[in-house]
Amino acid sequence: MEAIRNAFDFTDLPRGEMIIAALALLFLLLFPVLPHSSFAMATMIQFLMFSLYGMGWNLIGGYGGQVDLGKAQYVGIGAYTTALLMIRLDVPFWYSLPVGLALAVIWSFIIGYPLFRLKGHYFAIATIATSLVLKDIFEVWNFVGGARGLEIPLKGNLPNWLYLQFKQDYYYFYVLLAMFLVGLIYVNGFRHSRLGFQLRAIKDNENVARSLGIDAHWCKIKAYATATAFVAAVGSFHACYNFNIEPEDVMSLDLSVLIALMAMLGGAGSMWGPIIGAAILVPMKSYLGDWLGGKAGMAGMDLLLYGAIIMFIAAVQPRGVYGIVEALRARRRR
Amino acid sequence: MRKVVIFAAVALLAVCLAPAMAWSAPKEIKIGVIYPLSGGAAAAGRELRAGAELAADIANGLIPGVNMTMAKNAGIKSLGGAKIKLIFKDHQGNPQLGADLAKKLILDDKVVGILGCYHSSVTKTVSAVAERYGIPMINGSSTSPDLTKRGFKWFWRTTPHDKWFTKDLFEFLSGLSKGKVRGVKAVPKDQISRLAAACEKTEWGSHVAIEIASFAKEYGFTLAANILYASKSPDLSSEVQSLIAAKPAAMLFASYTSDAILMIKTLKSMKAKPKIIWGQDAGFDKPEFVALGDDVVGILTRSVFLPSVTKMKPLAGQVNALFIKKMGHDLDGASARAFTGLQTWVHVLEKAGSTDPKAIQKACNTITIPGKELVVPWVGIKFSTKGDEIGQNVLGGGLIGQYQKKGGKVVLEVVYPFDIATADMIFPLKGY
Repeated sequence: MEAIRNAFDFTDLPRGEMIIAALALLFLLLFPVLPHSSFAMATMIQFLMFSLYGMGWNLIGGYGGQVDLGKAQYVGIGAYTTALLMIRLDVPFWYSLPVGLALAVIWSFIIGYPLFRLKGHYFAIATIATSLVLKDIFEVWNFVGGARGLEIPLKGNLPNWLYLQFKQDYYYFYVLLAMFLVGLIYVNGFRHSRLGFQLRAIKDNENVARSLGIDAHWCKIKAYATATAFVAAVGSFHACYNFNIEPEDVMSLDLSVLIALMAMLGGAGSMWGPIIGAAILVPMKSYLGDWLGGKAGMAGMDLLLYGAIIMFIAAVQPRGVYGIVEALRARRRR
Repeated sequence: MRKVVIFAAVALLAVCLAPAMAWSAPKEIKIGVIYPLSGGAAAAGRELRAGAELAADIANGLIPGVNMTMAKNAGIKSLGGAKIKLIFKDHQGNPQLGADLAKKLILDDKVVGILGCYHSSVTKTVSAVAERYGIPMINGSSTSPDLTKRGFKWFWRTTPHDKWFTKDLFEFLSGLSKGKVRGVKAVPKDQISRLAAACEKTEWGSHVAIEIASFAKEYGFTLAANILYASKSPDLSSEVQSLIAAKPAAMLFASYTSDAILMIKTLKSMKAKPKIIWGQDAGFDKPEFVALGDDVVGILTRSVFLPSVTKMKPLAGQVNALFIKKMGHDLDGASARAFTGLQTWVHVLEKAGSTDPKAIQKACNTITIPGKELVVPWVGIKFSTKGDEIGQNVLGGGLIGQYQKKGGKVVLEVVYPFDIATADMIFPLKGY
């Protein structure tokens, strides 16, 4: 009961942040009815997906300080479970989603137990390795379609809520927005939870945390599993949204890095950080690509600009955009 | 005062005439073109873009004197001379991005249809979007056989696919053992029967690997190694070690540009000595690959267009000359197929006489474009409407070329089909 109360308790956040968050939420709720292009809608869906990925990453990477660069493996497990159950056993999305979550969480326990014996860079490298090994297995495993992946066929007439198949993207948008709000409320509860405080203590000084009786190893595993549930849920959604999945798309190192990058750039360890990171990087990547990607003689310019902006933000404030906000706020207080 | 009156009269006339002129002006027909314009396949993207642009320029009447029907109409005649406008998008080899761009082209830019996407993996997601929205998509250069096995109603492919191309390879190898190859005496089959393949591991390459394994069995060859690798990999030494360890007579590759170059450099550094190296077009057919110079001499590549085709087809020579003027080098398999893809769009629109998707669908399903209209050496273009390959052009064909040094320049000569070979084959490869 207390956990639920904590999850809905936003009173510790500054008033300014709450007003901005409320306005952003209103904008998100109304977005599909506002005039918009289909590209803007696709970009918004990507934004919500990466926000959720980032929220998951933030639980272990931000609050726990464990740099995880292997989140794509769980996106893959979620996506493949949904696709396989849908294609082979005709299981609707809403049933395959929890199965995917459960499998991903089980896998995270199997991986997490030995991995959290490692620290710092070694942990980060090990997460990359496990993710790439799983991707390699999927690429040669014929049961899951190998490197060619799986294509989900259309199931009857659209819109189909059971199988999450729609022609218009606004359906996907609202499903994802609901997942986003659930995720946000969960993260808020996590911040106030015992595990949340324990993780922050471990991040600050693991030895001191241990001396206080915190089982650091177990705490990290639990947070890692929770983070996994977030990305696996979005992975399941991705399979239905894209109708097609392949290891290179849902399990690549690029995806793992992008998930971590967005959360870090937005501000790791803060509730809004991953959302801010996704809100900046996703539209920037999409629109720079749209603006410059197709222009003659400008090939690759969008990626150059994208990289330059990331480097600029990292150089100005290594704690990310939310770090800039906090620094400004601190200056105003002085 | 008089000047003011004259000015006012002219202005009034202009205002009155402007809408009429606008109404009578030919409309534009927007075709969305999705190619990899950046990333590992950017070199291919540049060729594809140039091929499609050249075809559009010819169709729009900007380049006179080309001896093909679409060049004589200056636009789409059946649509009042409407001009073709290409809207390019860069998918970066990313299937998800490709799908998003397809939605943008269909819903925001209101394109009449789509051309693309080179990478079979991207073509797969983009064609799924086109199918969902009922918008026609013509594919000129993706060769995964699966693409036309899905029973799609809005997807047509002009290029032959990898099953045909891989069959050509094994026909060629069999011919080599039977003395059919120009300039080479019959090579005992046991001397060339051991094969090793390395294919990039997305939709395209993994399919080629399957086809190679299947045809090797059918034609009685031994596939000693069949490796899948990541085309973005910065190092291919372990893959090359595995290939060399298999001691093959022939090494077979399905690679995009950067990995094809890296593969040859790594083979050279490890002093590989296969008798035959064959590439499944793509990276093996790019100017950047040819820039390796002497290292590519003797390498075989399948293609649908080789510059020596111009000796057989004057029209191909004419278009190739225009392409050289635009890009500074010959058409290749990618640019020639992009040209043909856009040309097919022009013929389809001409036949449909409408931009209504249903009319275009009907035109695609009934059109026949004779080979004499094409730059590629095909019998023509006619799409299958029944069986298990709906939307596949049934009149296409492939070539196998070999890089040879002529007058200090590396050129591609036709070695298969045997009856149109343009030079004696270099066999065996001298090795590195």
